[in-house]
Amino acid sequence: MKSRLKNIAGLLALSLFINSCSSDDNGSAPADGTSGDVELFFDNGVAGDALMLGNSYTNSNGETLIFERFTYIVSNFVLIKEDGSEFTYPKNESYFIINEETGQFTVHLENVPAGDYKKIKFGIGVDQQRYLQGETAQQSFWDLAFANNMTWTWSTGYRFINCQGTFTVDPAHGGDTTSRGFMIHQGSNTATDNYREVVLNLPTTARVREGEMPNIHLKSDANVILDGDTKIELHHNLNGAGTAASIMAGENLITIANNTKKMFTVDHVHNGAGTHH
Amino acid sequence: MKKIVYFLSILSVLSCQDDNGEYIEIDQPLDFIIPANFPEPVQDISYNAPTQKGFELGRKLFYDGRLSRDGTVSCSFCHEQASAFTHHGHDFSHGVDNLEGLRNAPAVQNMAFQGEYFYDGASSSLEMLSIVPIHNPVEMDENLESIVLKLKQDPVYVKLFSQAFANKEVSSGNMLKALGQFMTMMVSANSRYDKYVRNEAGGTLSTQELQGRALFQTNCATCHATDLFTDNKFRNNGLPPNPNLNDLGRETVTGFAYDRYKFKVPSLRNVALTAPYMHDGRFGSLQSVLNFYASGVQNTQNLDPLLQQHPTLGIPLNQQEKEAIIAFLKTLTDEEFVSNPLFYFRT
Ligand code: HEC
Ligand code: HEC
Repeated sequence: MKSRLKNIAGLLALSLFINSCSSDDNGSAPADGTSGDVELFFDNGVAGDALMLGNSYTNSNGETLIFERFTYIVSNFVLIKEDGSEFTYPKNESYFIINEETGQFTVHLENVPAGDYKKIKFGIGVDQQRYLQGETAQQSFWDLAFANNMTWTWSTGYRFINCQGTFTVDPAHGGDTTSRGFMIHQGSNTATDNYREVVLNLPTTARVREGEMPNIHLKSDANVILDGDTKIELHHNLNGAGTAASIMAGENLITIANNTKKMFTVDHVHNGAGTHH
Repeated sequence: MKKIVYFLSILSVLSCQDDNGEYIEIDQPLDFIIPANFPEPVQDISYNAPTQKGFELGRKLFYDGRLSRDGTVSCSFCHEQASAFTHHGHDFSHGVDNLEGLRNAPAVQNMAFQGEYFYDGASSSLEMLSIVPIHNPVEMDENLESIVLKLKQDPVYVKLFSQAFANKEVSSGNMLKALGQFMTMMVSANSRYDKYVRNEAGGTLSTQELQGRALFQTNCATCHATDLFTDNKFRNNGLPPNPNLNDLGRETVTGFAYDRYKFKVPSLRNVALTAPYMHDGRFGSLQSVLNFYASGVQNTQNLDPLLQQHPTLGIPLNQQEKEAIIAFLKTLTDEEFVSNPLFYFRT
């Protein structure tokens, strides 16, 4: 009985949807049981400028950085409606890599129930639950991550953010102008869980319909990693020989985990079938 | 004895004949038995419950040199059964091209009862940990993808993988799973000491061994705790750092200065068979280890407070007491484990 009612409701909704299509495109209610795709585009930047590998950027710590690599893992996508109801993307397929070097900037979600979504939630990195389930649960993702330089093999984890390049320090900030390498490998280890989640409001509703794919355009600000709420100065993290700075463990990873909660903002949402940039 | 049996719904169990009418061996779940004197396992075994075929596959892999770049170095090369799966006689284990590592190979035993692996805890997953020796340039210097390509060319492996896993694939994930299953089943719990605490036949200890046990309980058992003889923690037991290595221990993984010079407390099971001792294999005998605890402990950063309770650093012991402790440690040798054909692969 119940299911029959549901079916009728579904049919009603469908007919409403079809009827309204021609007249009022924006106001159409989603048809029950239908689904569509969502695309997220990650636009990498540095404090408002576009991120370009090889370009130099000066931050408020008086350090000038040239990025040669900027890669990160985003995961566990959840789409949230106005009434707070959530759609959690299937966990096994919910791990993605954004890679500035290879030009991989999009996350494509399939079979998202039709609806009007107001917020998105996702993680930066890989959560401990999945990690502890072993490599098998992560099989295809491990291979992808390995190919993108996002695995650790001297220990057994993922790099959440891999950011490398060279830097110089303004003498006024206690450094010298010698160019040195820097390497930031953000991640969890067996002592600290540095996976974090962010929830972002969408400035425009993302309308998911069959054959209609919203494109959510996010900006990622690489500057917040070192120059966010808590500052990390590369020249205070030099190796023993003083030739390079590397950040791969300890308190710095916790700082970065918290700084990067402000790394992402949603710039705009395009609605409409298969919209691409 | 507590007994946990995991039933797996492996599809291949259902069919005993394939399309060609050929007989297919049945895969069976294996009993993972928790010895009565052991604490509960730390690892969740249901993530990767051992089966007969998974175990056999894991054992074959453990003994296979193809897991290394040049085909010469298997896990068993550094983890030999006769010495409780350690690298007998080597302070630093050596791998491909005879390159030397920086640490001494610890025993592989009772792994499911431990939460952290390697002296610095670089891994906490029994399934993932094989990634470390496989990729280490001075150990096996290989990678998962390349091993899988090699194994796919061997019909024996193709068959074993298809019997052991529901998805039948020769994949790096299944390979790590099989190794994990083999190591899960490597339980050592039948030494004379175990028989003594479980009141089983053959479980008698001499007066000297009993004196050693009492001394051990007062002086050593806080760190070398429970019948696993480890508290699964990282501690600094006061070894003077080797200036040529400057091994920071746990700090290498965590980056915290309060972890400097802390190393995983090793289990002392089968310790009479696992010389040399400590993370860098610096001591050749148990006598030297006891001499160190009695008079060699140094006050380096983060020295454990337990070793600062006496007027002199360390644990005061006279020669007679040292000998009693050594006699006790020898009762932890489990002949059954080191000679069990189940853990040995014959080609
Ligand atoms: C070249 C020698 C070598 C090879 C080959 C090797 N290991 Fe090891 N193994 C070591 C050393 C050395 C350590 C200690 C390393 C450390 O603590 O950093 C170790 C540690 C371990 C541990 C951790 C034990 C504990 O108590 O924390 C396990 C488990 C292990 N190895 C399993 C394996 C497996 C499985 C393979 C094959 C895939 C393998 N090893 C191959 C030398 C080797
Ligand atoms: C404060 C904690 C602590 C106490 C107390 C302690 N140990 Fe240890 N023990 C350790 C740690 C940590 C290691 C590993 C150190 C390393 O390799 O750097 C270790 C290593 C050993 C080893 C070497 C094992 C191997 O496989 O290499 C032996 C043997 C040993 N201890 C015996 C004893 C005995 C006997 C006592 C009591 C007289 C004792 N320990 C007291 C923490 C402790």
